[in-house]
Amino acid sequence: MMFRSFIAFAALTSAAAAEAPSFRNTIQPILTRYGCAMGACHGAAAGQGGFRLSLRGFDDEGDWISVTRSANGRRLTMEDPARSLFLLKAVKAVPHKGDKRFEVNSPEYKAIADWIAAGAPGPKASDPLIVALDVEPKQVVTKPGVTLPLKVTAKFSDGHSEDVTRWAKYNGVNASVATVDEQGVIKTTGRGETVISAWYLSRLAVSTLVVPSDAAVDQAAFAQVKPRNFIDEQVLTKLRALNIPPSGPAEDHEFLRRAFLDTIGVLPSLEETRSFLADKAADKRDRLIESLLQRPEFVDYWSHRWSDLLLVNGDKLMPQAMWSYYNWIRRNVAANTPWDVMVRELLTATGSTLENGAGNFFILNDEPTKCAETISVAFLGTSIACAKCHNHPMEKWTNNEYFAFANMLSRVRTKNGAQADERVLFSAADGELVQPLTGKPQPPHPLDVTTAVSMTSTEDRRVPLAKWLTSADNKLFQRAIVNRVWANFFGSGLVEAVDDLRVTNPASNEPLFAAACEHLVKQKFDLKALMRTILQSETYQRSSITLPENITDLRYGSHYVPRRLKAEVLLDTVSQVTAAPTTFKIDRRNANRGTADSYPMGFRALQLPDSNIASYFLKSFGRADRVATCECERTNEPSMAQALHIANGDTLNQKLAQKDNRLDALLVSKLGNEKIIEEAYLTALARLPTERETTKAAAMLATARPEDRRTTLEDIFWGLMSSKEFLFNH
Amino acid sequence: MFKFSGQGSITNCDGISRRDFLQAGALGAIGLTMPGFAKLKAEGKVDSKKSNKACIMIFNLGAPSQQDLWDMKPDAPSEIRGPFKPIRTKSNAFEISEILPLHAKIADKFSLVRSCYHTAAAVHDTGHQMMQTGRLFTGGVNTPHVGSALEFLQGRRSDLPAHVILPESMGPTGGNMPHGQDAGFLGKAYDPFVLNADPAVQDFKVPDLLPPKEIGEVRLERRRELRELVDSSVRNFEYSEQAKLMDSNFESAYRIMTSTQAREAFDLTKEPLKVRERYGMNRFGQSCLLARRLVERGVRFVTVNTFITVFGEITWDIHGSKPFTSIEGMRDIVAPMYDQGYSALIEDLFQRGMLDNTMVTCLAEFGRTPKINPAGGRDHWPNCWTVNFAGGGIKGGEVIGKSDDIGGYPTERPVAPKEIVATIYQALGIDLTTELPGPQGRPYPVVDFGTQAIKELFA
Repeated sequence: MMFRSFIAFAALTSAAAAEAPSFRNTIQPILTRYGCAMGACHGAAAGQGGFRLSLRGFDDEGDWISVTRSANGRRLTMEDPARSLFLLKAVKAVPHKGDKRFEVNSPEYKAIADWIAAGAPGPKASDPLIVALDVEPKQVVTKPGVTLPLKVTAKFSDGHSEDVTRWAKYNGVNASVATVDEQGVIKTTGRGETVISAWYLSRLAVSTLVVPSDAAVDQAAFAQVKPRNFIDEQVLTKLRALNIPPSGPAEDHEFLRRAFLDTIGVLPSLEETRSFLADKAADKRDRLIESLLQRPEFVDYWSHRWSDLLLVNGDKLMPQAMWSYYNWIRRNVAANTPWDVMVRELLTATGSTLENGAGNFFILNDEPTKCAETISVAFLGTSIACAKCHNHPMEKWTNNEYFAFANMLSRVRTKNGAQADERVLFSAADGELVQPLTGKPQPPHPLDVTTAVSMTSTEDRRVPLAKWLTSADNKLFQRAIVNRVWANFFGSGLVEAVDDLRVTNPASNEPLFAAACEHLVKQKFDLKALMRTILQSETYQRSSITLPENITDLRYGSHYVPRRLKAEVLLDTVSQVTAAPTTFKIDRRNANRGTADSYPMGFRALQLPDSNIASYFLKSFGRADRVATCECERTNEPSMAQALHIANGDTLNQKLAQKDNRLDALLVSKLGNEKIIEEAYLTALARLPTERETTKAAAMLATARPEDRRTTLEDIFWGLMSSKEFLFNH
Repeated sequence: MFKFSGQGSITNCDGISRRDFLQAGALGAIGLTMPGFAKLKAEGKVDSKKSNKACIMIFNLGAPSQQDLWDMKPDAPSEIRGPFKPIRTKSNAFEISEILPLHAKIADKFSLVRSCYHTAAAVHDTGHQMMQTGRLFTGGVNTPHVGSALEFLQGRRSDLPAHVILPESMGPTGGNMPHGQDAGFLGKAYDPFVLNADPAVQDFKVPDLLPPKEIGEVRLERRRELRELVDSSVRNFEYSEQAKLMDSNFESAYRIMTSTQAREAFDLTKEPLKVRERYGMNRFGQSCLLARRLVERGVRFVTVNTFITVFGEITWDIHGSKPFTSIEGMRDIVAPMYDQGYSALIEDLFQRGMLDNTMVTCLAEFGRTPKINPAGGRDHWPNCWTVNFAGGGIKGGEVIGKSDDIGGYPTERPVAPKEIVATIYQALGIDLTTELPGPQGRPYPVVDFGTQAIKELFA
């Protein structure tokens, strides 16, 4: 036990035989634990007050030099350790902007004093290295107001273990459920689920806490659900554990509209709605799901989704290259290429960027570190960017791993092709990326793999990289894509944010997440198969109407969570309902060439290959700019500019006023007023109007003066399309 | 240090504070869509009445020439000193160019910082980022504009948004990078309200602020009623934060549409013609006037872009060749317009007693080359330039910092962009160690740790 060993050191100082505390394994954890090596203090890139440490002590060698040698060695007084500036500052015996970090004669104080007394030895190659970190208990189900100490144990390469509870740093992700103090003692504060993480010597261990709801739940709510597949089973298990009852099933019209919008991004037509509602067959939802997965709009919707992810952007790529990139995505979506195959093909692309559109990925990510970061976020759902400068503070990625991974991409080269705007991609036989800390190339290997790829081999390093990335053992690769698909249908991922997968950011339902990944692997990365399973699940088909006991649940699947339609879908549905298509102007203002060119009339927003469109509507409704690979690029957050645009702007108002639109068609159709209202509701909301709605709206039409008839209908449609029921999927 | 993180959370800079920040409610993500300010206010952590300070940031897109305007070098050779002569001003501390005569008359109200510099690439966009957010964008982290951070930290104080950009957001300036005029990582909920119109045109109106002409009050009311009819039929998602936010945005929209205060704030015809003419009947002058009206009615931060692009417009970007501007273009068009608008704004704020509480700062992305180029213009020069400050507790008539004999490098008190931004935060009453929740839980102090405001400026 480390704590005891300090006492032992103190007792043994007179006995010269005592082994000095290790800089790597004793001093560094103290500097981290007491905040000395934190970003706001000496761990800042430029240090603090002239004293610089690596962030959270990832650079043992450098820190040792900083402590013992820098500033002419004035920080240590070997002959009288207690007079060392290093200790005087830490206990604030002399002024210290960082305040007092620990007490004189505390175990940490003594450890440092002993280390100085022993001659302040540096890190040695023979130091035992940490191999595992363990926290107990790992999973607790408990009540609010409970105090619970954690125990953290570190295992070292020489086989010994230490209790490092006192030295670990703790963090809780959800303070409304539980907090943790510096000693690793948890206090539960509310109900729900949270994770407490312990960090020690760049290792992480987590403990999951569940505090179930205490509501008296009618068990019948659970009993009435008949699981369709594993999703429902796992969700029910979770809901039972948390004591949250599920809502009932969604009505047919709700499911119809929801499935259309989530799967293909358009509304069902009037005829489709009528025939679906009239269909009495038991398997009609399954048949609908099947037909949606085969629709041409499916290709538009998902090509657009992956173009967001892969940053198809006409401002960064020449038009021909942009089209070639987009068409490559489109071809793969149309063929339903398995995700692993598609990613492998993308990452090993060679040759002309105009013939093999996938190669443009490397034109956009034209530098090994940028490319490594993009691959990591896009396909592993995890950011390694922090590790470029220091060990990732909240994750396990180290600075060395970062450069090892980036070095896998150091031999990608391009040259000019035969045609204008054509680039030819190839893998060079040499070239290395230098790890700046050592000044030497870091032996290349994929993340989480310990055996390096041969540095003398001339094989394209991207081949082993892609093979590792997409292998059935790479859990992160599966989790990343499952999470993205899940988020499309449920509004949020099993892990939120969708591209923020890390140990310290737990899934809302880990067994479900694991099962969904397993399912995907079994289906050979067939994304349509995953979508089918999701769409068929009771969980997806649940109502968005809440029960008092599940109203606060937004993550566990007890009901469908309503959300605003994304920018492109919303614009397309407005065009669809009004039957007034949109003109899309290509934005070339960055090249000082204005916005003169347009896509052909009739293009829908979801069919645009490129985000580089001059559109106030799309911009204010939060489309992704496709500049950086990040889910945060897109926002579905409502804003006042959106409300003003719907109310007064030229998009909806112009489409309503446009000649020969759906309103004109309805007015000349000779339908009765009530029938007109019915068609308007079915078209916009995929449901029949209520009696109150029919009566009120029909009366407005009936009493309108002839010259006001059209504007009255415009206002009825405006009311429909500005309602939350229209703006949201629910 | 101010910490806006959940109860009992981390006190060091490595905490997962974004999650703490966003997660509230018994089962997690309830707070995800709630605006930061509203949530902080609910928790009693911020006070919307805390500050009555406002700021008008005039951004001189294109970058004015320091040697030709406010840091003249009359003793330097002609290819450096340029064609203009210095004139005396109301300040004993500095002279100013003859092409800014109205500035000279109010020189006791503003102070010059003559030693601003940056070390990033000499393209417009990098300077825009640093001067408005305090940081160069790297690693995909877009830091927020001061005004947006202010909205996040202090909220609104009237029907009007807290941060407004006039007349438009910065457009292309060649670098193809973001300009730092939005809320960045704080999220689009804190993006500024952008006017997107020219307040100098005859029938100026704010786009989308008012319904189209054909939709009168009767139809407006009918529409509201019809929307309510649909929304009241289905109450499936009254619990959704996003739905609540949509509703509250419609309410704010209706509030601003129907608010006399808001309508009036944007209505320049309410100003006497003499006042409008004093500001100059052009886009910049009327934007300055509008900025004053907005601040008067509760807007906390107004950013006025003197120009929108450097292409095909007569601007400060005096390369001397097309599609840019010549020194003569600056002399005949840009300087008189600017001189008039700025001096009118300062005089007006002063006369209304608003100057003490309103900081006006005139910034630019860099300076211009000391030596006149073969085309007779000056090119980009980030090594040294001049900015100025007035009001908001700033001493007037002073000079901070000094450049060398040719205006090429600072010789005294070099000032980095982050110090400029720190100065604005300080004038607005924001502690410089206040942290904003950045991407992936990384907290971002409003300015880099340790950055100080330019103390000498404050009275």
